[in-house]
Amino acid sequence: MAEPDPPADHPPADDEYAAGESAAADRRATARLVRAAQRGDTLAMNDLLDELAPFVGRICAPIALDDGPDAAQEALMIVFRGLRGLKEPAAVYGWVRTVAAREAVRVAKRAARAVPAELAELPAPGDPQLGADIRDVLTRLSPEHRAVLVLRDLEGLDERTAAERLGLRVGTVKSRLHRARDTFRKAWSA
Amino acid sequence: MTAGWPTADPDPVRRLHALAAGVRNAHVTEGVVDAPVDVVWPLIADLEGEFGRIVTDMARVRVISRDGDRLEASAHSRFGPRARFSGVLRPGWCWLQSRFLLIGVAAADHGDGRTTVAFTGGLRVPGRAALVPLGVRAEGRRNLARLAARTAARS
Repeated sequence: MAEPDPPADHPPADDEYAAGESAAADRRATARLVRAAQRGDTLAMNDLLDELAPFVGRICAPIALDDGPDAAQEALMIVFRGLRGLKEPAAVYGWVRTVAAREAVRVAKRAARAVPAELAELPAPGDPQLGADIRDVLTRLSPEHRAVLVLRDLEGLDERTAAERLGLRVGTVKSRLHRARDTFRKAWSA
Repeated sequence: MTAGWPTADPDPVRRLHALAAGVRNAHVTEGVVDAPVDVVWPLIADLEGEFGRIVTDMARVRVISRDGDRLEASAHSRFGPRARFSGVLRPGWCWLQSRFLLIGVAAADHGDGRTTVAFTGGLRVPGRAALVPLGVRAEGRRNLARLAARTAARS
């Protein structure tokens, strides 16, 4: 017989239950929209676009910078072209997140406008300098590293998962991250 | 957590390209109208008046109900008898579907006192996110030309 779950030290307050239930209800509603869109209801597609467009914009802008709107449009086009093939509607956000990050990297590299300077490394999570001027930090990174940073700091993925989603070699990313801390601080304190 | 991070919310014209990508055989006709968006968009939003003179796939439009930006309407179509439409109408965005017809219009500030406008739609494969691939490009061009002419007439 399985052991019962241990009692929680601090049972969730009512509003925490409500927040959890609300998030679950949102996910179910999104999955219903995806299924309706897959069946050919273009109004459901419209509603799904309303939901996904700001999310895609938040992923694409920090990676593609000035080309963020182009990247967001192209990512959304890929999403709606591929929506019919999405097997698990509840997984739509994970799929869209990956599409958006990859597309933003592609658009940023195509534009070849942002030439990374010496700082080819990522700041540590929670580094106060990152909060001080995010855009300046972003312009010093390559598109791939901006993408890892976005997936890590905005989307809460660990670096290994972020690198895998982006098709980057995990070892390369992690070794650069290891050296990043000092480089980043030196650049800011110079 | 996201404070200070750059964001990019795609404008309505970009959104129309995205949505049309999910509709098989849809084509987006995009152009620039020589008037600001606050002059151009009221012509599209006038569903029971100017709209039918610009988007001639729909004629004698009657709005049945509105709830926020949602609406139900009926209209005659050049493809058949009066049909019931459901959709969304808000500044810069119009998306209407019936069983047999799909209409999408978007407008965004071009930044120089002009307006970028995009049209999509056509005869729908019933109940599906697909259009019959007949005249979708030509109709978009005609819609854009008619909108430009109606805007000029108002200026």
